[in-house]
Amino acid sequence: MQQSSILLLFFFLMGIALIVFTYVYLSSKKADQGMTNPLKKRFWFFLILTVMMGIFASVTIPKSPYFAFADKTPAKVIHVAAMQFSFFLSENAIDPEKPSGQQIELPVDEVVEFRVTSLDVNHGFAIYDESNRLITQTQAMPGYVNRLRYQFDEPGKYNILCLEYCGMAHQVMRSSFTVK
Amino acid sequence: MESIKIRKITSIWIITVLTLFVASIVLGILMRLNQGGVLQQTPITFYSNMTIHGITMIGIWFVAGMAGINYLMERYVKTSYTANLIALILTVIGVLLLWAVTLIGKFHTAWTFLYPLPLKVMWAKWATPTFLVAMSILSVGWLIWGISMMTQVLKKYSIAQAFAWQHFKKDPEVKTPPFILISMITLVGVITCLFVAVVLMALYFAEYFSGGSFVNDALLMKNLTYFFGHTIANEMLYLGLAVIYELFAEVGGRPKWKTTWYVALAWNFTLIFILTAFFHHLYMDFVQPEGFQIVGQLASYLASLPAAAVTVFSVWVAVYRVKIKWTLTNLLFFIGVAGWVIGGFGAVIDATISNNIVLHNTLWVPAHFHTYNVMGNVLFSLGFFYWFSIQFTDKLVSERFSKLILSLLIIGGAGFLLAFYIGGADSIPRRFSNYPAEFTSAKFLANFGAAFATIYLIPILILFYNITKRCLKILFSSSS
Amino acid sequence: MSKNIVFLFLLIIGFCNFAEAQTTSNALKEETNIYEKVFDVPLQVVDRQSASFDELYAQKPVILALIFTRCTGICNPFLVKLKENLQFKTQENPFQVLVVSFDSRDGISDMRRLAQNLGLEDNKQWTFATTDSISRLNQSVGFEPIWDSLRQQFDHDALLVGINKEGYITKKLIGLREQADLELLIGSVNNIFSPTYRLPNQNSLFSCFNYDPVTGKNTPGLGLLFLALPAVLTTLLLVFISYFVRRSRQKRVQLN
Repeated sequence: MQQSSILLLFFFLMGIALIVFTYVYLSSKKADQGMTNPLKKRFWFFLILTVMMGIFASVTIPKSPYFAFADKTPAKVIHVAAMQFSFFLSENAIDPEKPSGQQIELPVDEVVEFRVTSLDVNHGFAIYDESNRLITQTQAMPGYVNRLRYQFDEPGKYNILCLEYCGMAHQVMRSSFTVK
Repeated sequence: MESIKIRKITSIWIITVLTLFVASIVLGILMRLNQGGVLQQTPITFYSNMTIHGITMIGIWFVAGMAGINYLMERYVKTSYTANLIALILTVIGVLLLWAVTLIGKFHTAWTFLYPLPLKVMWAKWATPTFLVAMSILSVGWLIWGISMMTQVLKKYSIAQAFAWQHFKKDPEVKTPPFILISMITLVGVITCLFVAVVLMALYFAEYFSGGSFVNDALLMKNLTYFFGHTIANEMLYLGLAVIYELFAEVGGRPKWKTTWYVALAWNFTLIFILTAFFHHLYMDFVQPEGFQIVGQLASYLASLPAAAVTVFSVWVAVYRVKIKWTLTNLLFFIGVAGWVIGGFGAVIDATISNNIVLHNTLWVPAHFHTYNVMGNVLFSLGFFYWFSIQFTDKLVSERFSKLILSLLIIGGAGFLLAFYIGGADSIPRRFSNYPAEFTSAKFLANFGAAFATIYLIPILILFYNITKRCLKILFSSSS
Repeated sequence: MSKNIVFLFLLIIGFCNFAEAQTTSNALKEETNIYEKVFDVPLQVVDRQSASFDELYAQKPVILALIFTRCTGICNPFLVKLKENLQFKTQENPFQVLVVSFDSRDGISDMRRLAQNLGLEDNKQWTFATTDSISRLNQSVGFEPIWDSLRQQFDHDALLVGINKEGYITKKLIGLREQADLELLIGSVNNIFSPTYRLPNQNSLFSCFNYDPVTGKNTPGLGLLFLALPAVLTTLLLVFISYFVRRSRQKRVQLN
């Protein structure tokens, strides 16, 4: 689970920071001449940080969602129109004048494409799996269509929540679909 | 004579900031209790409170930083008392309007007021134009203040000297104090993002008064909103750092920090990266071209590098095996730097696009920015406030009392933040007045956070009483 | 006189509204059948061996135009415009144009004449064909011509369908369209993915980026200026203040 490893990584980094700061603080109690050759140590600290960040960036950037399944032909396209405070999901294009939606069923293990837009303010379109994990998301912006591609590996009921604050009923703006 | 005036106005700033801080913390605790089901507010009340909580916190810690550097800048250049006073008056007017707009007018767009939400009126009709006016008043007031301070620096230092470019060569003739360098870098960033605010407000007004014939582009407005919002939230941290560069060594009874070539280089780079990092707020907007997204990730990473290698490392060098006179002030600074680093880890993780897709707008976001505010920037400013207030009185906070204050701050802050981080990893959305039933841990975490925020509030109240009392004395003293 | 102008004005407004409604409904129709497989019909091809549709698209992605030769309406200008738009098209992203008649009265000789009239009989990129299973093809691409017995004509859309090498419909265009839309169509049959697009009629003056389908890249729009403006203003201000304070200091020095 991506979230668990993120939390673990964060705790690990936080632990290192706490140890270093505590160690440095305690060392001032038994003071002597201070750090020897701080410029050299600073250089190594900087170099290690740079290399680590460089590796982290080059590993993560290719995993960005904009490139996901770009060379695949999706099995299905679902049109999504978000509106204060509901979602319309449809296999057909949605008329902004008279938006309407339908029950959606998606195939398992195949790439599907969501074409997400908003008819009023900015909304979020976040997909949660059956164990309430956020698995993917995009924003719904008025005037634009965002194409989100995803492959569902598990059949079941998936929830959609709005993840961009959109007004007083933001917290109940939701929808769902099934994957079979 | 002049120095008394600046002392008094700084006291007013400090009292204002602390009062609003306590009020906003209370609003925050009420929000967490509502999410936890202990309180039953209407969603509109919740979101109005959330809006004013966010705007106030950003606003007060920004002006706290500005008032701090303004006070310390007097050591190097003469600053304009008039500009300071104008900023104070306009800030008070702006803040009063904003509290009226949200608490009476029930305006609830969140502090990010993402276009076109403010124009979709779901509150008192007067609230939208008043909100836009209040934001404009604040922007203009702070612009005047920032430009005035920049002008005073430039009267003494040339552009190259203010940015410490002469330090790239060996043995420069004129030495730029680190405080001037960092203040200058930060002021340029501040002025830029306030100009962004002016452009943003102009576009809002244009649409508001056009009666529907002029419609803005949602992507442009979102970019502008975060250019302003992200940058000002970041710059206020740097205002706090300028204070640390000036005071950390001094308070500990050590020789003052000097500008070196790497300090100059790091801060010059920071200026560039900090102005492009805001793109990370638009990762989930696929309409933004990929190039900008990747620039966002790289700039977010790179902005943290010089800060870590120079500022954090300098603090370590200044403390490691060095005899230091620890007082409440430099302990607050030291703990603040640690909190800033830890919040920075959370931020860098979130600024990674492939992580952002599962963290964006979950509780991870408030988790990381609360970390470097609650445990970072706030402590920087509190350190300054305390240092300022004891300059003119002799009674100090006893060492034992300091320890109690710091322990409560750390325990309260850590528990409060932990609830956010775990919530974020549990995919719990941010900005929900009530949680859907399926998020089983959400209510417990909210109450847990509220309880620890209350513990955090105790030392804040102690410091509020302690510092305000002294500031009032300074304010009403007739001489010295 | 003024009455006429008002009338003309109203007429224009009415026409614009009508045109807008038309584009909206067309835009909705264009979104149907996307990523569905096109029906594999047998084709009788002008001056070439007959082939099945899947043999054709397997070689090169297809842009399918559905017309009938007896059309007195849109078919001819539609094909002429398509030819004009495609004639300078470089072969960066491969495609072929397949023109199929949906009128059962059209024989292979009618199609040959059409190719000759358009001057396309020797153009390898263009294929003219008829099929005996036109209704299955129409259905699979969502094309619904209606016979108007009064005018002895079909009432139909000017439809272009993009089909990739796997035979899936990637994009549809309805109406006489400009070069840029065609480029998007050609990009889509070659599976070039852009994670976003703009809704029709939603172009606003201050947009930040405009997607250029020819290069597949975004070009800066007017809105980006607004993003750069504050930084430029600050820089100018910095230089201006610096110059100004130096000059006034020099003056002071001279006075002393």
